[in-house]
Amino acid sequence: MPMFRFDPYSPLVDADPFPAYKTLRDEHPCFWSEEAGMWILSRYHDIVAAGNDWQTYSSARGNLMTELPGRAGATLGTTDPPRHDRLRGLIQQAFMKRNIESMGDNIRDIARQAAAELKGRKQIEFISDFSSKFTVRVLFAVLGLPMGDEQTVRDKAVLMVQSDPKTRAKGPEHIAAYNWMQDYAAKVIAERRANPTGDMISQFSLAEIDGDKLDEREVLLTTTTLIMAGIESLGGFMSMFALNMVDFTDARRQCVANPALLADAMEESLRYNTSAQRFRRSLQRDVELHGQTMKAGDFVCLAYGAGNRDERQFADPDKYDITRKPRGHLGFGGGVHACLGMAIARLAVRVAFDEFHQVMPEYLRVQEKLDWMPSSTFRSPLKLELSIK
Amino acid sequence: MPQITYIEASGQSTTVNVPEGWSLMQGATANGVEGILGECGGSCACATCHCYVDEPWLAKLSAPTEGELEMLENTASERKANSRLACQIKATAALDGMVVHLPESQE
Ligand code: HEM
Ligand code: FES
Repeated sequence: MPMFRFDPYSPLVDADPFPAYKTLRDEHPCFWSEEAGMWILSRYHDIVAAGNDWQTYSSARGNLMTELPGRAGATLGTTDPPRHDRLRGLIQQAFMKRNIESMGDNIRDIARQAAAELKGRKQIEFISDFSSKFTVRVLFAVLGLPMGDEQTVRDKAVLMVQSDPKTRAKGPEHIAAYNWMQDYAAKVIAERRANPTGDMISQFSLAEIDGDKLDEREVLLTTTTLIMAGIESLGGFMSMFALNMVDFTDARRQCVANPALLADAMEESLRYNTSAQRFRRSLQRDVELHGQTMKAGDFVCLAYGAGNRDERQFADPDKYDITRKPRGHLGFGGGVHACLGMAIARLAVRVAFDEFHQVMPEYLRVQEKLDWMPSSTFRSPLKLELSIK
Repeated sequence: MPQITYIEASGQSTTVNVPEGWSLMQGATANGVEGILGECGGSCACATCHCYVDEPWLAKLSAPTEGELEMLENTASERKANSRLACQIKATAALDGMVVHLPESQE
């Protein structure tokens, strides 16, 4: 029998990681991936335990599987408590559900407008025709970014999270996109400091708690990360959700008939087709797990997408079931690093699909085989063509 | 593993072995306890993991952080003297046998 391998840079894993995940969970729950140069944890229980133990599983050397230069140690996702909690404390308020709800009408207008542009079309490409327009406009509104550069910002955000499947690293085009985004963020920050408005970037570039402020690099990289996380994570998830909605006709029809069900369907899609598949930590001490010894300094991948299909936690995990209510799923991570943007994401996705379905209640998938984004961290299709009945 | 008993507003009681280091919110959501939602994943940003800690156990917990106290102002059900957020309580051996009551509603 050939030796089992797991390569998160492989296009096969981009397309369908689930069979490999099952082998990992059942046979190699603590697996050293040579290709990735890190350990892979794939069982729900182990991932939650690691996520809880930030003293051992540190984010300070980066949390993206393929990290971007200079990011480690300077953003929410790449620092540990107490520094992380301080950064998060400065901005969390603005992202809480009750403070997001006031943006509901604004987000609905954006969704309605993006959906209206689709009226009368026989076929659409969901990502370029709808979700990317919607996500970038929502994020610009939420963060208070000046309108005008949306398309470029979106393209760079998508590029910077990708990696080169051949070199297994960020290529020059990915780094260039990241640098472009930092320059862009720097301009917006300077603008807002000079002329503060009530928006989020003004708030946290000036925020102070007990005389403590974010330093320049923190403001810059936090802004850059928010733009990247907001656009890429939200857009990526929306295309996965659309894929589930087109493939599972009954679930979609139920959501069309009763849009209140979209909230449950979204949680099930976060579990079933986790768009933020894998993040990493680095070990602060030696850890023994499932008969393996992981060494201090080693990187460990938390495969959220695998934990979300763990039959030890979720009954019949490969079944898409919008009545499941998969509480505790790992689609937004968990613990101190749980996604900051989840209240925005939940509101935005619900509203977007509600409006989309008003214009297009019935649709079919055009491509039999999808092309997937080359990314070791995220998973989503590059294009999703839908034909309208 | 510490045993934690969750008693829902309906009276339904569930006893769960919660691994040390897991929060009481995680112990509940991973084991089908309906009365805790844990919407924010434990980042102390939603107050949908509100619980009432039975008297003898209250003194064994470390004091709530400022962040937890702020979030406790946003609970859907009445906040009482023994109100805590389950995501901010980590299971330890000292909490073995602990009982928490869950509120009528979380959102
Ligand atoms: C459906 C859409 C989204 C998904 C699936 C998602 C997923 C995730 C996941 C899994 C993590 C944990 C990373 C880790 O464990 O290291 C995370 C963290 C984060 N997300 Fe999201 N995200 C989404 C939308 C957003 C949005 C819209 C924003 C901002 C506007 C955002 C901002 C962040 C930030 C700042 C962090 C780091 C939090 C911390 O470390 O304290 N996300 N996200
Ligand atoms: S789970 Fe959100 S505050 Fe506890």
